[in-house]
Amino acid sequence: MLSQKRIALVDCNNFYVSCERLFRPDLLNKPVAVLSNNDACIVSRSAEVKALGIKMAVPVHQIKALINQHDVQLFSSNYALYADLSSRVMSLLSEFSPHQEIYSIDESFLDLTGISAADPVAYGALIRQTIMRQTGIPVCVGMGPTKTLAKLANYAAKRWQKTQGVVDLACPERRKKLMQVVPVREIWGIGSKLSSKLNTLGITHAWDLACLPSNKVTTQFNIVVARTVMELNGIPCFPLEKSTPDKQQIVCSRSFKQKLTTFDELAQAITQYTSRAAEKLRKQNSLTHLVSVSIQTNPLDSKAQHYRPSARCTLPSPSQDSRLLITTAKKLLKQIFKPGLKYQKASVTLAQLHSNQALTQTDLFPLSPTSTPPDNKNNLMQTMDEINLKFPNKIALSDTQLRKNWLYQPKNKSKRYTTDWNEIAKVACS
Amino acid sequence: MNNNQQHNSRGGTRKGAGRKKGSSVYGESTKAIRVPESMVPSLTALLAFRKQQFKAQQSASEPASFIHPVTNAEPIKIPLFNCRVAAGFPSPADDYVEQTLDLNQLLIQKPAATFFVRAEGDSMIGAGIHNNDILVVDRSLEAGSGKVVICALNGELTVKRLAHHNGDLILQAENPDYPNIPIPAESDFMIWGVVTNVIHAL
Repeated sequence: MLSQKRIALVDCNNFYVSCERLFRPDLLNKPVAVLSNNDACIVSRSAEVKALGIKMAVPVHQIKALINQHDVQLFSSNYALYADLSSRVMSLLSEFSPHQEIYSIDESFLDLTGISAADPVAYGALIRQTIMRQTGIPVCVGMGPTKTLAKLANYAAKRWQKTQGVVDLACPERRKKLMQVVPVREIWGIGSKLSSKLNTLGITHAWDLACLPSNKVTTQFNIVVARTVMELNGIPCFPLEKSTPDKQQIVCSRSFKQKLTTFDELAQAITQYTSRAAEKLRKQNSLTHLVSVSIQTNPLDSKAQHYRPSARCTLPSPSQDSRLLITTAKKLLKQIFKPGLKYQKASVTLAQLHSNQALTQTDLFPLSPTSTPPDNKNNLMQTMDEINLKFPNKIALSDTQLRKNWLYQPKNKSKRYTTDWNEIAKVACS
Repeated sequence: MNNNQQHNSRGGTRKGAGRKKGSSVYGESTKAIRVPESMVPSLTALLAFRKQQFKAQQSASEPASFIHPVTNAEPIKIPLFNCRVAAGFPSPADDYVEQTLDLNQLLIQKPAATFFVRAEGDSMIGAGIHNNDILVVDRSLEAGSGKVVICALNGELTVKRLAHHNGDLILQAENPDYPNIPIPAESDFMIWGVVTNVIHAL
């Protein structure tokens, strides 16, 4: 028992909703939901909204009546606010353990082995209390000897109020009791497809999965499932990642404000999306080798057929130069554009990303004698990014339309309370 | 062997003649080669870059350039020293150039728990909080009696001073025009953070 690891998963409760409530105490105990990028679907729900039976990812237009009836407060997603509060939470969490893996915007694994041995639940409560008090964000803490069990413990901490937000699964008996009531689809890494396959085999609860003999697992399922089964039995297979790896692909995908019909309009939108994606690419200092573009008409339009083509192209050598990426994206658009249709959405994906450091040699001997030395390119792009960081959207490449913004403008966005001096919260002195 | 060498040394290179080894603009010995014409621009650029690199490397050790332009500066840093020193004549102050004064350091103890808010109204004028001032709020601090706090009062963020009054904690305004308020029931009240500083523009 002494050598057993203790991994904690700290997960923020309804993170986006909690962020919206921080500067709006009037929203406490009221139904609040946050919408996806184009205000289309529900992506975060307060407990009150969950109690109304509103499911995750449901399109808003399907639940209009329910929203009006219960006066559900809807917010467009405000990523500036969420990212800032997330980094505060993560930075505070890092003080509780020397090993932290930031798993997502609202989840973090902590290695607590040897730290909280005497009373792990009290340590978890301290974490919870500290984050709540200092950032205003409620969290739950799940602990166990493996990451999968920590996830499971967190699920229990969220689900059952009696736990007061902290669950430790060091004891095998407790694990068994819990796994017997938790459906198999709630296990980390078991997707909906896999869980229905498991269900047909009579494996309905986590405990059934944990009890599968290893030879059966390895013959019928992939290695990830086999590892998950071991993790459920307390044998660590997924180590804590040291740092979040850079993104493997960058996507800029948005709906338009209004439907677009002409090639020129779409080309402008694609140019704008590519510029944004390229900016993100340079921010993580990567090069892309593959550009892909897709456009689509409204899938819900019953009169017209749904058209959703995409095209991709491998670049001669990896690049982060907006000019090359935009030219490429526009060529791709030309291949898939069909006139006479009403387009609703476009997306640009940059994939096969490489670290800029690893590949600096590639561009040193370009075959074309006229191409600029790579250093010049980087400086130009870097300067552009720096100017745009200080003065948003002040400069762009000449064919990026500055005046016309094709991006959907969210309707109910809250203020950027923590990242813009002009939008900080007002407090009453009255 | 030694004799032989002396006999054959009529022509050829003279010992110690020519440029010193490694004295080129690149900091190492150079060599002439033939290259395809199309590669000339890129190679010239590469060489220019190497030249620059070496130059930068050399000058980095010179005292005159110990102040480098900041590329990714933290905001709000006011330099303590900003004077260049003549090359070869080090300033006696060199040893003392250690850090810059940073307002963040003065105003913020716990960055993750610190927020800025703007005051609206004059009820806290006696505490030095004017209308439109920016308040620095630290959520990690204990909100005891005497502290100026942000609280959520009936669903609104409000600034008040916590004070003892006849044995009970009350919310006090710092302006005789505004009444004191007893702390309401828990459902309508919550301490949000402790105000540590006021940023007031003159």
